[in-house]
Amino acid sequence: MLTSLYVEGRSWFHRVPVRAKLVALLLASIALFATDSPLPLLAAFLLAGGLYLSLGLTLRQAFARVGFVFFTILVLAAVNLFLIPLPQVLALALRLTALVLLAAAVTATTTIGAFMDEVTVLLKPFERLGLVRAADVSLALGLVLRFVPDIFARYQAISEAHRARGLPVRPLTIIGPLIILTLKDADTIAAAIDARGFRRQ
Amino acid sequence: MNTRDLVLVALFAAIVVVLGFIPPITLGFIPVPITAQSMGVMLAGCIIGAKRGALSFLLVILLVAIGLPVLSGGRGGLAVLAGPSGGFILGWAIAAFATGLIAECFVRAQNSEGRQFAGFFLASVIGGIVVLYAIGVPWLSAVTGTPLAAAATGSLAFIPGDLMKAAIATLAARAVYAGYPLLPARA
Repeated sequence: MLTSLYVEGRSWFHRVPVRAKLVALLLASIALFATDSPLPLLAAFLLAGGLYLSLGLTLRQAFARVGFVFFTILVLAAVNLFLIPLPQVLALALRLTALVLLAAAVTATTTIGAFMDEVTVLLKPFERLGLVRAADVSLALGLVLRFVPDIFARYQAISEAHRARGLPVRPLTIIGPLIILTLKDADTIAAAIDARGFRRQ
Repeated sequence: MNTRDLVLVALFAAIVVVLGFIPPITLGFIPVPITAQSMGVMLAGCIIGAKRGALSFLLVILLVAIGLPVLSGGRGGLAVLAGPSGGFILGWAIAAFATGLIAECFVRAQNSEGRQFAGFFLASVIGGIVVLYAIGVPWLSAVTGTPLAAAATGSLAFIPGDLMKAAIATLAARAVYAGYPLLPARA
């Protein structure tokens, strides 16, 4: 149900360490916002686009992943046409699409496990301050992945119950029961976690 | 944070993900379709409170960032955060916190039903609309270069739909509060 956006592949970008990719993304976003001239931004756009298309995604898949964001960028660029000079509109749109393509490339070449390792490293300072425990974050993440299918099945059951009674299926009448039924399980799940000593409390 | 809080945070994040699967409703008099997921911020604050609601949304943002397609329409990944509406997604956690804070201050078990409705609606409107737009619109303007005034005017098209969401979230939150209260009270 929740398949990661990672794409299986052996391209060179797949082999770059995650941390390097994330740092590169951060540096690229700073560099892209530092310049306003269309030419370097066009180069960045072409580079990011070439990189993204070289990862082994089919054109259709590649477009499906970024199409929605591109649509928003285009709409805003169209609005900008009436408000700011053309070269600037071009520069803004190119910068943002380049950034989005690069970000999509990082997402497509990084597994969830690799991301989580980096998240654990990033959480270290907070862990030392006693604000959060990295193990808790992983546990919460696992719980979400575990319970999404269950909650979706529950949603379908409630929709069926609506239809069986001839009621229209509306978010308003579904959300209440869905949330109550789901959150009522919290005590049992918490007890199950503590019984296994996962959090060592 | 005890284990029950941790589980509530995770379960609510999972509910928000599932809300993304519900097909959006279109209403004739509102230009933008209403997605159930975007009600999540208001629901989280009003139902599990400020702290847990905000943590729930930090978890959702983490899921987006590590490349899971958890947003409505199967969107996800760093590209969404880098795009024009990234500010709205990152703002969710703060908006959920604000919603929860207001709900915790104004809603009490001994209040009349009408006062509870008013409390939840106020929390949803201020947290889920005012605070969220106060983060998302300047972000969008900074990223896309659209002048702030134009971006703000354009966002007005979404306000009727958002008020509708606040109304639905109010009714749902009050139903949950009556059936299975989890919202902590704040003096």
